[in-house]
Amino acid sequence: MWWYVGKRLLQTIPVFLGATLILFILLKLRPGDPILNLAGNKPVSQEVRDALAAQYHLDDPLFVQWLQFAKNAITLNFGETFAGQPVFDLIKQTFPVTVVLAVMALAIDAILGITLGTIAGLRRNGWFDSSALVVSLLLLSVPIFVVGFVMQLVFGVKLGWVEPTVGPDWNIGKLLLPAIVLAIANFAYTIRLTRTSVAENLTADHVRTARAKGLSNGLVVRRHVLRNSLVPVVTYIGINLGSLMAGAIITETIFNIPGIGNAAYTAIQKGETSTVVAIVTFMVLVYVLMSLLVDLIYAVLDPRIRYV
Amino acid sequence: MRLTRRTRLAGVAMIAAASLTLAACGGGSDSEGGSGGGSGDNVITVYGTNPQNPLIPTATNEVGGGDPLNNLFSGLTAYNSDGSTVNEVAESIEPNDDKTLWTVKLKPWKFTDGTDVTAESFVKAWNYGANAANKQLNNYFFYPIEGTDDNGNTLDDATEISGLKVIDPTSFTIKLKKPESDFPLRLGYSAYFPVPDAAYDSSGKITKAYGERPIGNGPYQLTKSGWERNKQIAMEPNPDYTGSHKPENKGLVFKFYAGGGTDAAYTDVQSNNLDVLDQVPPSALKTFEKDSKINAFNEAGSNFSSFTIPERLKHFSGEEGQLRRAAISMAINRKLITEKIFNNTRTPATDFTSPVLDGWTKDVPGNEVLQYNADEAKKKWAEADAISKWDGSFQLAFNNDGAGNKEFADAVTNQISTVLGIDSSPKPYPTFDELRKEVTDRTIKTAFRTGWQADYPSMLNYLGPIYATKAGSNDGDYSNKQFDNLISEASSAEGDARYDLISQAQTLLLTDLPAVPLWYQNATAATSKDLKGFEFNWQQKPDYYKLTK
Repeated sequence: MWWYVGKRLLQTIPVFLGATLILFILLKLRPGDPILNLAGNKPVSQEVRDALAAQYHLDDPLFVQWLQFAKNAITLNFGETFAGQPVFDLIKQTFPVTVVLAVMALAIDAILGITLGTIAGLRRNGWFDSSALVVSLLLLSVPIFVVGFVMQLVFGVKLGWVEPTVGPDWNIGKLLLPAIVLAIANFAYTIRLTRTSVAENLTADHVRTARAKGLSNGLVVRRHVLRNSLVPVVTYIGINLGSLMAGAIITETIFNIPGIGNAAYTAIQKGETSTVVAIVTFMVLVYVLMSLLVDLIYAVLDPRIRYV
Repeated sequence: MRLTRRTRLAGVAMIAAASLTLAACGGGSDSEGGSGGGSGDNVITVYGTNPQNPLIPTATNEVGGGDPLNNLFSGLTAYNSDGSTVNEVAESIEPNDDKTLWTVKLKPWKFTDGTDVTAESFVKAWNYGANAANKQLNNYFFYPIEGTDDNGNTLDDATEISGLKVIDPTSFTIKLKKPESDFPLRLGYSAYFPVPDAAYDSSGKITKAYGERPIGNGPYQLTKSGWERNKQIAMEPNPDYTGSHKPENKGLVFKFYAGGGTDAAYTDVQSNNLDVLDQVPPSALKTFEKDSKINAFNEAGSNFSSFTIPERLKHFSGEEGQLRRAAISMAINRKLITEKIFNNTRTPATDFTSPVLDGWTKDVPGNEVLQYNADEAKKKWAEADAISKWDGSFQLAFNNDGAGNKEFADAVTNQISTVLGIDSSPKPYPTFDELRKEVTDRTIKTAFRTGWQADYPSMLNYLGPIYATKAGSNDGDYSNKQFDNLISEASSAEGDARYDLISQAQTLLLTDLPAVPLWYQNATAATSKDLKGFEFNWQQKPDYYKLTK
């Protein structure tokens, strides 16, 4: 099994190289000149334009830029932002809040989603199941920024129960509202996924055998139905951590959370190649590790899956 | 417990999960502590964004860094709320007879590190800024001084501007390329701030450390925490400050909003977590003046919006071009757009400058071309068609990353096509720099959105740098000898004679319409209920030193 983990970790190397190369090409294809963006609406001389382009390696050929980046990345040196901050520091500063936010959202999503989904699945076509279906449809169809603004206005501004924005001095309490907002769309999906999976497993052979063996209903549900039903749910939730982090940007902007989504957005706007590539590469690595984690959890959940 | 295959697996999963969590905790503690925004103590919290450049006067050209710098430094002159200037560090700034040689004498003044502000502090900083090798983005501001090129870089890669001469520690002279009677108006701008000796390293470069934590000579100085990246810039009153902008509060905190989100900032003002937001987000424009949770401000401001139709486009040169530009201008119903799209946060333009300036008048002869007049527009278009038949379509390029641009481009082109009966459409560019690249390289093949933010409060600054032959921001390559002459005469004239000449120059522009004026952007702001002393200056910013609560 360790051999399997090692193999998977080795796979991250080509993923890293491939992802950065694609990013470099994409950013190169982006028209416009980042230096003119820096200059704003004031004229800037060709000399200064060239000198700045050289400073940020914007004038090197694409492949050279990429090799340079890959070489420096080994020593965690990702270059500097236009404002002179090392990109690594920027990631270190912005990543934690995003991780905490995503993990909180994930926890809310998993606890509520799996519990409600299981109940709905066990009492298929009952009143609980039907109302869960309607509610989840509603949640799925409302865009996240609407939920965000409405909840901010109601709970933050009107009722004053929570601070409406988070700001740089963040803590778990302040992140609760944004985490709920972030969880809402996913949680609707988790309910539906769990419900279907549970309903399906209820009729599976091994469950029938367990019942025939005379196991109590509670034991059958916990040990044999729920555990096996969680495989697709865990896949969904695990992969979601990645997209929650990258996709948190809307929530981050609404609640002024200085996270990595916003850092990436600002960098893309300014055309800071090295910053964008570093951040996105980082996200790619998080994805890879998460999917490894998910694969390992499969084996815990379903004894039929093993890694050699 | 027996270690089964499954528990081992769980172990691996746990380690991986724990390492993620640890990474989170490790970084998290960095951002705890420090002075938050918050109320009390008469410290004012102000909306800001993380500066995009080091905090060096000649390197900072955007508001994120510019607003803090304006409070940390004092220039030779300082701006009053009404756009007039007073001498700040300068004791006197006197011209010679033809107003090309200015002699500056300094008051005794100190940087916050205790060293004196000398003539050398200014001259060295300006030389540094103008030298292209130093890659300073504000070099443009030095272009009026002799020894620089049109972009404000020193000639022949010299390290010093030849027009600057230090006479003694408290006086120096500035030689200009052309007579300019309102030159001292420029000198309050951030590019002209002095820099202390401590800023330079042994090779004469301004150090990185200085750009992180500048030592200034202004009303405020950085607190111990100073600039915290992606978080805030905190400053406190400079106890030794003797100038005219003595702080009435106990300090300023520029609180950064991630991704520049003014929506979040507006919410913070509503719930009293932020005192000043100097630009109301588009989502609140309809309601902010009726919002009982904030104090609202909405006044005509100094930003001028227009679009430029370059001379080189087909059908837009010579007399035909003149007719077509006038027709297009008269086909636009500015009043309707400012009301319906901008909720009266723009004011229809009646000239090429801004109503906040000294000498501005709404009665520039010839400005009826800026009034909506469908019949006249059709007539002019038909006259132009008689010269050469129109073909193709009229497109207006704009950058889609600025709020309200798409809406106005849609409305303007729609009105043009309705009134003139031609095919007209907006042409979006995803970002500002993509549009600017094509404009700067002259590869753009359509009309495009333009605008001007003044460098100093003078009507001439809205005209010379944009429409004079070969001027730095003359994106449409407009050239008119008569206009050039009027501007240079106005530059050396004084009083009413000067405003007369400016009016004449504007009348010429109204005939040629090198850019089609659209509107003046209003300055809008939202402040918390208990904030006092808010008043816009010509830069559409509050006078920070006057704010109290």
